[in-house]
Amino acid sequence: MFKMRILFEKKDDAAYISHLDLMKVLQRSFCRAKLPVKYSEGFNPHICMSILSPLSTGYRSKYELCDLELVSDGMPEEAEDRLNRVLPDGIRVLKAYPSAEGLAVAKIAYSAFNIELEGGNAEDALRIFEGDVFFEKRSKRGSKQVNMKDYIKSLSFSGTENGMLCECVLAAGDDPLNPSYVVGILREKGIVDANSVVRYTRTAVLDCDAKLFS
Amino acid sequence: MNDKLTACLERVRKPARYTGGEYNSIIKDKSNIDVRFAFCFPDIYEIGMSHLGSKILYGLLNSMDGVWCERVYAPYTDMEEQMRQRKLGLYALESKDEVKDFDILGFTLQFELNYTGVLNMLDLAGIPFRSADRTSLSPIVMAGGPCVYNVEPMADFFDLIVIGEGEEVMPELVNLYRKAKKVGWSKQEFLKNAAAIGGVYVPSFYDVEYKDDGTVKSVTAANGAPKTVKKRVVADFDKSYYPDRFIVPSTEIVFDRAMVELFRGCRRGCRFCQAGYTYRPIRAKSAETLKKQAEALIENTGWDEVSLTSLSSSDYPELNDLCTSLVAEFEPRHINLALPSLRADTFDINLVENVQKVRKSGLTFAPEAGTQRLRDVINKNLREEDLLNACKVAFESGYNSVKLYFMIGLPTETDEDILGISKMVKDVIYTFRQYGKNKARGVRVSVGVSTFIPKAQTPFQWAAQTEREEVLRKQRLLMDSLKIKNVTYSLHNFDSGFIEAVLARGDRKLSAVLEKVWEKGSRLDGWDECYSLDRWMQAFEECGIDPAFYANRVPEKDEILPWDHIFSGVTKSYLWSEYQNGLSGRATPDCKAGCRGCGALSLTGGGKCDV
Repeated sequence: MFKMRILFEKKDDAAYISHLDLMKVLQRSFCRAKLPVKYSEGFNPHICMSILSPLSTGYRSKYELCDLELVSDGMPEEAEDRLNRVLPDGIRVLKAYPSAEGLAVAKIAYSAFNIELEGGNAEDALRIFEGDVFFEKRSKRGSKQVNMKDYIKSLSFSGTENGMLCECVLAAGDDPLNPSYVVGILREKGIVDANSVVRYTRTAVLDCDAKLFS
Repeated sequence: MNDKLTACLERVRKPARYTGGEYNSIIKDKSNIDVRFAFCFPDIYEIGMSHLGSKILYGLLNSMDGVWCERVYAPYTDMEEQMRQRKLGLYALESKDEVKDFDILGFTLQFELNYTGVLNMLDLAGIPFRSADRTSLSPIVMAGGPCVYNVEPMADFFDLIVIGEGEEVMPELVNLYRKAKKVGWSKQEFLKNAAAIGGVYVPSFYDVEYKDDGTVKSVTAANGAPKTVKKRVVADFDKSYYPDRFIVPSTEIVFDRAMVELFRGCRRGCRFCQAGYTYRPIRAKSAETLKKQAEALIENTGWDEVSLTSLSSSDYPELNDLCTSLVAEFEPRHINLALPSLRADTFDINLVENVQKVRKSGLTFAPEAGTQRLRDVINKNLREEDLLNACKVAFESGYNSVKLYFMIGLPTETDEDILGISKMVKDVIYTFRQYGKNKARGVRVSVGVSTFIPKAQTPFQWAAQTEREEVLRKQRLLMDSLKIKNVTYSLHNFDSGFIEAVLARGDRKLSAVLEKVWEKGSRLDGWDECYSLDRWMQAFEECGIDPAFYANRVPEKDEILPWDHIFSGVTKSYLWSEYQNGLSGRATPDCKAGCRGCGALSLTGGGKCDV
């Protein structure tokens, strides 16, 4: 048995594939690529795989990780090419490699995002996040009042042709901050229009030392 | 992707329905295309993407050089709201180009409650509803699908309609259109030439006159169009076009699996069943062909399930051999075989156990009626012993749930027939208590009860739909008698069945009602949360039309029916004799026992059915 890790990107149309659907999309791609996938035991066997740190529907990503269990002893030949030939538009494997041992997933601490915004002034936007920003954070366990500062590792704004680009590194892992909260604050404070177009792209997943997690 | 669409997608549920980009979807270079075809399905993505006919025609049209066929589905209400608010016109999934700029829009009409969906899609595209209001050669708005056997309520909206199977006629039509475009024909010239193609119905060439009582007085063909339009069928079904790849959706759809088609037609002749009459004659594919097609689809899609589809799969002559070899091939690869539409009287537990090795699903049977008398009326040649025997062997081998489908409101039905349903259900439970392998687990019986809807081109086209109050009384009677432990039941909403009945036997006068009810907000009438009977009743009233005239009236024997100029292959006299047999409770043996001369073989130039 062998565990392979796949680094892939997800853009354009594919950004709108939800997490559960993406699992299916990948599973079918593995079958088309004829990878020696491992099936679980039991009544309803399924392909043993997981997507690390899944994103909200609609988010683009240049840095998606998936672990896949194989029945082979090592890396399948040309895994990247075989997958890229059979993936739907917008999903592309950048690299496939042996997965690190142990509870590596627990080491994921941050996600880096680019948020493209329509309208807004970069200086005004940045000023909002200079001090404390209290907000209601919702999760499966209910909602709580928290300070956004505690969830932001870094955050910057720069002007673009039709608005702003926000580059930020936000908490991931157990208690993550969805970048839509950042946009929510900008909308609430009137920096950007409630009806404006927003594009989220994850650019990296980082460990607790803010090093690239791979 | 443009900003308007992005803004919409951010604000709707399940946005992957509206993006395209799925594996095996076809992108072509526009500079090499001279016919752009929008295949329009007037229901939402999950439904439309499950439809086999669309997959066949999508593959077929895209196999033609210079033709690009793209998909269009009805947006759900939240997406429609966003599109209207942001002035985003209806677009095709592959190119995201607006549908109004396409050459041909082809709608498939799967059932009557999709009709307002067609109008809504035309409106979202910015295309006038009525054929008469569209004067140029593009776009041509056409239709096909099972509703064409009486398409009169929609006749004024379409430029042309394909009657029957599309595999041969669609390329002929598209090539004719290509010629028309090149030569510079007017729309009228194109339609005149199209009407000469077998199976093509140009409604505007048929003038319908009505009597004072509202029935049809005459239908007169003009412009050289045939007096009756004869259904097109593929004579050599085994060799007919079938795609070796289907689009693999990136979000969940209703039938998310590969499909191969065992045969077309059905030898059983259930008198209520429109498909059973209009898909004749019976033509089967060879097991060899089916194996190849299933293998290719699995290779090219990565699906983990293949479904063997037909109207009655246990009637496929080589079913056992086919399943055995498919299971041998697919089981080691974790690929499941699905075998829907099994009959209880030919139920083979070994076959089912063999097929369900990978994943076990439940069992479903459709006795349709609760007593032998009524089953003879509708010609559902199934005896209660057969059903109980099928349940017995299934329970013995470990099954502990079964689904049963029935209809109420059938012609000649009495309260005894209704109570017969609950008796049958009790007998199934008793069978489990006697033979169940694991009695401690208990048995689950789910009973689905729909309402009979008389359909055109069936023996029951002369029958009336039971009126609302009476159906509700019968539903209550059934519910009271079905309050049994282990039984769950679901009743079909009668109100939408009523409108379905009106449209199923409707005429051209109803097109005004369709426009009116769309104006009032009808769209996805097949969805309970979108449907409103009040809206329909108001529209009928404002148009001065009595819906009961269509749903609840019994037409005379010699009456010209609104769909008589469409010939499905089965003669009106055969349908009438079957209707009479039904009323007197005489069952007709199935076609395997000998040809009954229904007329359908005239479509393939004689020969015999593959029974």
